[in-house]
Amino acid sequence: MTGNRPTAPGPSRLAARRLTLAYEDRTVVEELDLDVPDGKVTVIVGPNACGKSTLLRALGRLLKPRRGAVLLDGTELARLPTKRIAQVIGLLPQTPVPPEGITVGDLIARGRQPHQKWWQQWSETDETSVSEAMQRTGTADLAERPVDELSGGQRQRVWIAMALAQDTDLLLLDEPTTYLDIAHQVEVLDLVRQLNRERGRTVVAVLHDLNQAARYADHLIAMCAGRIVAQGAPGDIVTAELVQEVFGLASVVVPDPVTGGPMVVPGPLRSPDGTSAGDDVPGGAGGGATVPAARDAAW
Amino acid sequence: MTRIDQGERAAQREQGRRAGSGGHHAVGDTGSGRPRGRPVGHAVLRAGQGSFLVHRRALVVGVVLTVLLAGAVVASLCVGESFVAPSEVLRVLLGLPSPDRLVVGTLRLPRLVTGLLVGIAFGLSGALIQTMARNPLASPDVIGVTHGAGAATVAAMTFGLTSYTVLPYVSVAGGLLAALLVYLFAWRGGLAASRFVLIGIGISVALGSLTRLLLTKGDYLVAQQAKTWLTGSLNGRGYDQAAPLATVLVLLVPFLLWAARARRGSAFDDDTAIALGIRLDRVRVGLSVLGVVLASVATGAAGPVDFVALLAPQIARRLTRAPHIPLVCSALMGALIVVIGDLLARRLLSPLELPVGVFTALVGAPYLMWLIVRTRSSRSGGTA
Repeated sequence: MTGNRPTAPGPSRLAARRLTLAYEDRTVVEELDLDVPDGKVTVIVGPNACGKSTLLRALGRLLKPRRGAVLLDGTELARLPTKRIAQVIGLLPQTPVPPEGITVGDLIARGRQPHQKWWQQWSETDETSVSEAMQRTGTADLAERPVDELSGGQRQRVWIAMALAQDTDLLLLDEPTTYLDIAHQVEVLDLVRQLNRERGRTVVAVLHDLNQAARYADHLIAMCAGRIVAQGAPGDIVTAELVQEVFGLASVVVPDPVTGGPMVVPGPLRSPDGTSAGDDVPGGAGGGATVPAARDAAW
Repeated sequence: MTRIDQGERAAQREQGRRAGSGGHHAVGDTGSGRPRGRPVGHAVLRAGQGSFLVHRRALVVGVVLTVLLAGAVVASLCVGESFVAPSEVLRVLLGLPSPDRLVVGTLRLPRLVTGLLVGIAFGLSGALIQTMARNPLASPDVIGVTHGAGAATVAAMTFGLTSYTVLPYVSVAGGLLAALLVYLFAWRGGLAASRFVLIGIGISVALGSLTRLLLTKGDYLVAQQAKTWLTGSLNGRGYDQAAPLATVLVLLVPFLLWAARARRGSAFDDDTAIALGIRLDRVRVGLSVLGVVLASVATGAAGPVDFVALLAPQIARRLTRAPHIPLVCSALMGALIVVIGDLLARRLLSPLELPVGVFTALVGAPYLMWLIVRTRSSRSGGTA
């Protein structure tokens, strides 16, 4: 799998060229090339600290490249006004912080910011986009409620509604399912896929859970230590060898009983390096090999 | 609740009418099936091509504060060594002949106008700086402006400069210089709010010690005079101080209009704000420079009137329950605090007159504490 050069599986508005990303003096991603396929759901997976969130931040111009560039329609992001980028790329950070005391309806309406001018603060289009975003995410009934009072699942839906109201062709999501229980995770991911299918929106999401990634991605990117190890359709690339290489985890890949796609089942349980591999099990909450097994059973 | 709904319905009717005349209105938009996408709590004002969002409750609070302020202004002009009837005060204000013209128009009014403008400037300054720093404790007192102005003024006094026409400019220069120092140290490829506040506190402390050093080592009489200035006083202040302040306020109006819009984005975390297309550094620098200039000029006019910049925005914020610090209401609240504070300062221990700075904190602080306690019990949050 190593040495797989990224090739464009189709047209691509968002791309990275020889991208090197670093925090202070620590290089996280080096010389990375990537073409995000238009109109598809791309999911980036990889172990903790592999640079997947960093890459997403760079794709959304939250992090300036040390070297190389992110290109939007062939133009370097760094050369575009941030407001113009915001009209094309929507981005939901991992832990967004709302203005204090803001109501749901007000927050979702803030998604229209990049389309407004100071003398045009609320247009017909703004109204249509916001009501549509509310409708799609089922947040209309919450409109009058303060965001502080919402549950985690509701809150995430509201944030996604805000990103939707922004009405962009590309949507970047940084671990949109963190802090959510399994039902809400599925709900959010179904919503994301639905948006992609109905509107042809390009979605790039970083996910922690390999099985969710395999299930929802059209195009899966596996990262390890700042490089892309493999990318392609999940059915083509998810193998026990890849899981071993990327996560250092022994596993069995079986067909998902619902979708028929690949499903990773960690095991055998007592692998020689089982103790160290346990930390790298995707899916976060519990760690260890038994928790993902239980979660898979729920599917 | 019903009032809000009515307002929204009215706004929607307005919207529907306009859309109808535009002739490209999708039927489904107002159908019962689709939720109404509206920034909750705001009314949309339309004028030609323009459309403006107005926080409804802030509008109501603004009107109430204006009425209260008008009352405080009249009361402040009535009360003094001699009492002047409100009717006479109104006659003087309207420019009609009155026997009390000298007392009200010449003695009390200039001081009151200065107080009003100082309050407005401090209220705005605090609102801008707290918004930029996303911290309810940030204010010009904290980020070095007040102490810079103080140190410069006391230094000038110590070295023999006592002219009241020159001192305000020295103080403005001191405030701006201190802020410049803060920017220089805080800027590292961008302006992070927390670093800005921390550096500001450091510079404030350093300049505060410098001021105290000058006070202890300098002439006793100068120190006495400087002390009064350092507390913030409207005594002997009039149009000479009000005029430059008024000029600055008028000149800043276009920038304040920009700020009123720009600050909407700065209430988010950095990533979300940038994702929404907000140029954070420009907004931060813009908001804080505006705040610094306002605070410097106001300090030049009346000295550092304590806590107005800290309290007024927080009180306004709690009254409006807006997700941001309201600019206009903060300005009105600042003016109200200073006018009432000065009224108390003049009359409470009369004939002994105290500096207004003593009373602004005395008036504002308990009220703010009461508001905080009250809001905490009903609903969590609302601290910034």
